[in-house]
Amino acid sequence: MHIAEGFLPVTHAVGWTLAAAPFVVHGARQVVTEVRERPENTLLLGAAGAFTFVLSAVKLPSFTGSSSHPTGTGAGAVLFRPPVMALLGTIVLLFQALLLAHGGLTTLGANAFAMAVVGPWAGYGAYRLVRRLGGGLLPGVFAAMAVADLATYVTTAGQLALALPDAETGVPGALVKFLSVFALTQVPLAVGEGLLGVLLFRALTVNARPELERLGLLAAAPEPTR
Amino acid sequence: MTGLAVDDAAWASAWRRRSPADKLLLCGGLVGCALALPAWPGSVLVGLTAVVLALGPARVPARTFGRAVRWPLAFIAVGALTSVVTVGTGGLGWAPDAAARAGSLAGHALAGSAAVLLLATTTPMSDLLPALRGLRVPAAVVEVAAVTYRLLFVLLASLRTIREAQTARMGYSTPARGWRSSGALAAAVLTRSWDRARRMQEGLAGRGMESGLRVLPEVLPSSPAFLTASATGLAAIVAAGLAA
Repeated sequence: MHIAEGFLPVTHAVGWTLAAAPFVVHGARQVVTEVRERPENTLLLGAAGAFTFVLSAVKLPSFTGSSSHPTGTGAGAVLFRPPVMALLGTIVLLFQALLLAHGGLTTLGANAFAMAVVGPWAGYGAYRLVRRLGGGLLPGVFAAMAVADLATYVTTAGQLALALPDAETGVPGALVKFLSVFALTQVPLAVGEGLLGVLLFRALTVNARPELERLGLLAAAPEPTR
Repeated sequence: MTGLAVDDAAWASAWRRRSPADKLLLCGGLVGCALALPAWPGSVLVGLTAVVLALGPARVPARTFGRAVRWPLAFIAVGALTSVVTVGTGGLGWAPDAAARAGSLAGHALAGSAAVLLLATTTPMSDLLPALRGLRVPAAVVEVAAVTYRLLFVLLASLRTIREAQTARMGYSTPARGWRSSGALAAAVLTRSWDRARRMQEGLAGRGMESGLRVLPEVLPSSPAFLTASATGLAAIVAAGLAA
């Protein structure tokens, strides 16, 4: 769910861009440092961005009978950490605006704040909390992906409510309206995205365990004793 | 064919050889007009201008433009309708100026979306990315974005191939199988993206290119006639929008 071009007034578009900017700049600085120290990681970071874009093209069987698409930022936050996702998410949103007509250019800041900043940080927070409470990788990933999706949707509803307050009840009434309307698709999608995350990471633990160990998501397997 | 209709249209557009800066100026001006001018007649003029330019001189297929507009249209329709429904003590009702408010909101959004789509369907991303350097975006970030752009087509092709194979093996015949297949599909695409990046890096390192993918950007000269026509057209839209 991205806010379409021209849907936000100029002041709101500028305000959300300024709000997202520090996080995106921080992510960009991390990427610049990473590329300077290890130039070979340019391609890995590019691959991570491409994967996030492509993940949004995976169709999820929907509870309503239709199909929907994940945001992918929860998985990205667990794999690559939220600061990097702030930049990669913004790049993906720019590509979605210009290659798929999802979102827009003046609404890029608002969409980046919701999907590339709040979503990954909320999802990563949920992941860390579940792991700290003794949960395994898969419950943590479920929480990360579901919470990232829900946080993105709640933030977008809040942005719309601030821009388009209800004629009688103001911003709170508008927030209830937007949350209710988009809940029909977004709540099932959040659960679906959590399930997809579990299936994705279960497949990765079998097929790409060394990569997950290198990213610090799994403890290194002990050397076999002779 | 890349598999993304908007990107295909951009590469095939009659405006492909025009300077990206010229097109950015025109489309940026149209987006600005769509936001700042009153919906009537400003947004209508902006929307019509963008559609006529895309389907006329830029020769973007009408089907591609129409299909691309469907996505923002769905969001705009739901969002505009929701914004004019009031939640009061007496239940749901319409805002006093519901039609005008919804029309204005939809007008601004549709006109802005059409202007962005004009840019998207006439300018490939690889032409726009070098322009980011002009906005003082660090070279490393632009390079990551360029790699993302190039890799996503490879991954989209992998996604389609794997999904086709899964479908042929009844991978989506029941909801449970569909979920399992979707998870395996995402995992396969991720591991392929890592593998592809690693092999590309090894290939580049073997050729001594260890500090980045340096390429010569294609020089597309600016057209004074195009710039003059754009400025005149934008000035006319502003004048008409403010006069009403």
